[in-house]
Amino acid sequence: MAGMMEPARRESLLTALRVGSGILFFGAWQLTAMSHVFSEFLLPSVPVVAERLWHDLVSGDLVSGIVLTLIRTFIGFALAAVGGIILGVSIARVPLVRWFFDPLVSAGLPMPKVAFLPIFMLWFGVFDTSKILMVAFSSIFPVIVEAWAGTQNIDKYMTWSAMSLGVNRHRFLWEIALPAALPQVFTGLQVALPIALIVDIVCEMQMGGEGMGGSIMTDMRFADSPGVFAYIVAIAIVGMVLVKAMEITRRRLLLWHQETQTA
Amino acid sequence: MAGISFSEVRHTYRPPRGKPVLALESVSLDVQDREFVALLGPSGCGKSTLLYLLGGFIPVESGAITVGGKPVNGPGRERGIVFQNFALFPWKTVRQNILYGLEKQGMAKVEREKRTQDLVELVHLKGFEDSYPSQLSGGMKQRVAIARTLAVEPEILLMDEPFGALDAQTRALMHEELLAIMRRAPKTVVFVTHDVREAVYLADRVAVMSARPGRIKEIVDTKLKSNARGEELLQTREFNDRVDHLWKLVRDEAIRAQGAHE
Repeated sequence: MAGMMEPARRESLLTALRVGSGILFFGAWQLTAMSHVFSEFLLPSVPVVAERLWHDLVSGDLVSGIVLTLIRTFIGFALAAVGGIILGVSIARVPLVRWFFDPLVSAGLPMPKVAFLPIFMLWFGVFDTSKILMVAFSSIFPVIVEAWAGTQNIDKYMTWSAMSLGVNRHRFLWEIALPAALPQVFTGLQVALPIALIVDIVCEMQMGGEGMGGSIMTDMRFADSPGVFAYIVAIAIVGMVLVKAMEITRRRLLLWHQETQTA
Repeated sequence: MAGISFSEVRHTYRPPRGKPVLALESVSLDVQDREFVALLGPSGCGKSTLLYLLGGFIPVESGAITVGGKPVNGPGRERGIVFQNFALFPWKTVRQNILYGLEKQGMAKVEREKRTQDLVELVHLKGFEDSYPSQLSGGMKQRVAIARTLAVEPEILLMDEPFGALDAQTRALMHEELLAIMRRAPKTVVFVTHDVREAVYLADRVAVMSARPGRIKEIVDTKLKSNARGEELLQTREFNDRVDHLWKLVRDEAIRAQGAHE
């Protein structure tokens, strides 16, 4: 039915639904907390957590945690993006590279990369380097796979058109293959960014070194349950902002794409 | 001079999995400079393959194809091609699509902007210069593809069922536009189609191809004496006789092609 409504009404209904899902979630949380099924320690009420979140925000602890986590996440993600695109495109276009990396990518993609965490700690220490490398290693696979598939499956007729218009082999990659693969490459990046955030927080929880993951562990050790919950909420918000930012970037970047026209 | 000569061209299609298939068996055909020849045949007869060989997109394995006396060796700007599925660059606007070949030629900026604007007007797309292909209808997309190909001024136009994806009305309009463009700047055209009426309407000669493996079964002269155009021409005896004759030839092959599959 929503499809038959006039755009303005439809938009306000969708907004109401989005806000409604948030209200429902926090309402259910608050009711469960008030019912005392769990003790106040195991499940603090929404106002307590909100107050704590506000307190940490004003004190600057929250902001410095978020900034530290985001810096590590973005550096690791940037390494994965650049490395993944280069590797994916090379795999698609150079048979020797494909021969070598095809089995490695197939083995690495489904593997839980965090399993390497102890080894990374031994190799690269427990500070930023190991966290960033762990993030890059975990989030590079979807980028490789999508860049590979995107540049492998370029429409034959489009390729031929470009050739008959006079493109050479070197320029073909930049002028035809990469722009044609962009929607799929971007899908890879959209999958990779949340993975980067997750892995960075897991690393912080395992190795310490502050950031949002580190702060959760600190609060846990001090049996500070509102603090733990406050950081869980903060992580959720940061994650949501990142995902939405990627969606908006996608729409801007792929203005020409079919999906943008029909949305 | 942009005459084309196919001489005993054979082609075997080798699918990644499965047995090789003989697609073309000894095709010989000469196309004169500025002649419009249609390749007509049932689907799967290898007519598009023949066009791709001429385009230089797939290598000639056996026999020879020459253009202006020189053997075909890869794609070239003197042979422009238009595909059924338009094959536009979706990330480029109408203007950028048309400009692409001119940029590759190294044409000066002022000159190529002007040429592009002329072509936009030629194919009636004024006002859509900055639209992306995904915002256009099928007919408009094909006009962009034609303009993009014409931009580099090829001597030969290769058309691979260019109007096959369009509705009947749009197709009729495109026929008129193509003929008008050809009158302004005549070219050698090789036009692949399975539409008998389209072939008779557009072409000077129609080469009917047999079911796989493809051969030239018969070449029919379709240069009509009548001066009528459009709807009127379609009503003439001369036109309909040619259509009937070709239709019988194609139908026989289509039936044979079906029999071969069973």
